Amino acid sequence: MKKVIKLTVNGMEKELLVDVHSTLLDVLREDLGLKGTKKGCNQGECGACTVLIDGNPVPSCSLLAVKADGKDVLTIEGVAEAGKLHAIQEVFNEKGAIQCGFCTPGMILVTKKLLDDNPNPDEQEIKEAIAGNICRCTGYAQIIEAIMALAGRKQVR
Amino acid sequence: MRLNEFDYYDPATLEEAVELLNQKANGAIIAGGSDLLVALKQKLQTPNYLLSLDKIPSLKKVKFTENKLTLGSMVTLDDIIKSSLIQEKLPALKQAAWEVASPLLRYQATIGGNLCLNTRCRFYNQTSFWRSTRGPCFKTGGKSCHVTGTEERCYAAFCADIPPVLIAYGARINLAGMQGARTISLADFYNGEGRFPNVIAAGSGEILTGIEIPFPQTGVKSVYRKFRLRDSIDYPLVGAAVALKLDAQNKIEMITLSCTGTASGPVNIKSINEVLRGAVLKPEAIWDAAAAAAVELHPLKTSLVSPRYKRDISRVVIAEAIATAGGVTL
Repeated sequence: MKKVIKLTVNGMEKELLVDVHSTLLDVLREDLGLKGTKKGCNQGECGACTVLIDGNPVPSCSLLAVKADGKDVLTIEGVAEAGKLHAIQEVFNEKGAIQCGFCTPGMILVTKKLLDDNPNPDEQEIKEAIAGNICRCTGYAQIIEAIMALAGRKQVR
Repeated sequence: MRLNEFDYYDPATLEEAVELLNQKANGAIIAGGSDLLVALKQKLQTPNYLLSLDKIPSLKKVKFTENKLTLGSMVTLDDIIKSSLIQEKLPALKQAAWEVASPLLRYQATIGGNLCLNTRCRFYNQTSFWRSTRGPCFKTGGKSCHVTGTEERCYAAFCADIPPVLIAYGARINLAGMQGARTISLADFYNGEGRFPNVIAAGSGEILTGIEIPFPQTGVKSVYRKFRLRDSIDYPLVGAAVALKLDAQNKIEMITLSCTGTASGPVNIKSINEVLRGAVLKPEAIWDAAAAAAVELHPLKTSLVSPRYKRDISRVVIAEAIATAGGVTL
């Protein structure tokens, strides 16, 4: 069974014919070629497939594409603007909060949500915010350090 | 792991949804879907169609009245956590919702989905390939349970965090079916059976539409305490919900205790009230009561830890929950 859905992906409106049994992750990666969103555990436990849906981070492997109909989706490809890295991406680079890079798109997106809601989080709040994102390089210290460096900045956007 | 093909319906009214569910065979209701999708990928369920409740606005309502809260079954756990009124009136509900899965899943997961959560077992929650090496267990249509080896019943463990809290609060749920709507106590929704653990799973053809939670009397303290292997994201090995009230002499006037994670349904430990009513809360009395309560839980080897470990940890979790609610340091 197929269905037409409307998505706004990184600011662009799309009308797509999708299989009702496709996950949003599969549609993003395979139909739209947005491979920045990673497939990790495919069970919603690792957070590698995180995208922002109407501003909230959700594991796209655990969401049917048809359930995202009419929603606004932000993937890692939409975070940088006009070829310029987002402040979060800059700081992750500077602080070495990026090793193999597989968890990074998800980490950046949950960080964005965290800072949008609470521009000045403390360490505990940061740890709670990234609790659903696993870094198998175990580079958590640098990731937390990077987010701490962003805390309190006036304009993270 | 890809999903099998299925059809998908998202009717705009409850009446249509109930009719569809009762007309077409072999359907599964999808709320948030965070747990169902894993089961579908592992081929634990192979429905012909999914019935989505997304487009039914009445199921997303939150209504506070003077003496109770009514939640639509599609209210997300994140909405519950962020409600300051729930934090104030029903703190253990907020605590339990906050301890479910991870922040990412809580944006998606719903209260109705949590109440309808399937039971879990180390032999059941595996890929179809893993399961094929051993043959089907009782829950997947085989002759006997792999946990006990012989018995013709399923012992998978009920692992939802929120039901014990709502049972301790005395919550009731609204069900809609072909015969109309009815309201039953949440405790009666569960049958303690591992294979089809609740009224809906057992095939009543109904949809869970709402949850009514009475506010506790003034002075009642409620607590949910959970123990799990991974703190960031995991089902409970054991969870305990306590609601208690102390009288003017600091003696226990009433106490309710409900546990999750050890049996095939939430376990309401009624004897706790006889054991502790009239007692002054002291560490010794709490440990004794917790030990007596833990005996009523009969954990089996449904997870990776031994039943003995689960019993020991249950005692500690129950004691901590009672102590926290009573404001006592153990």
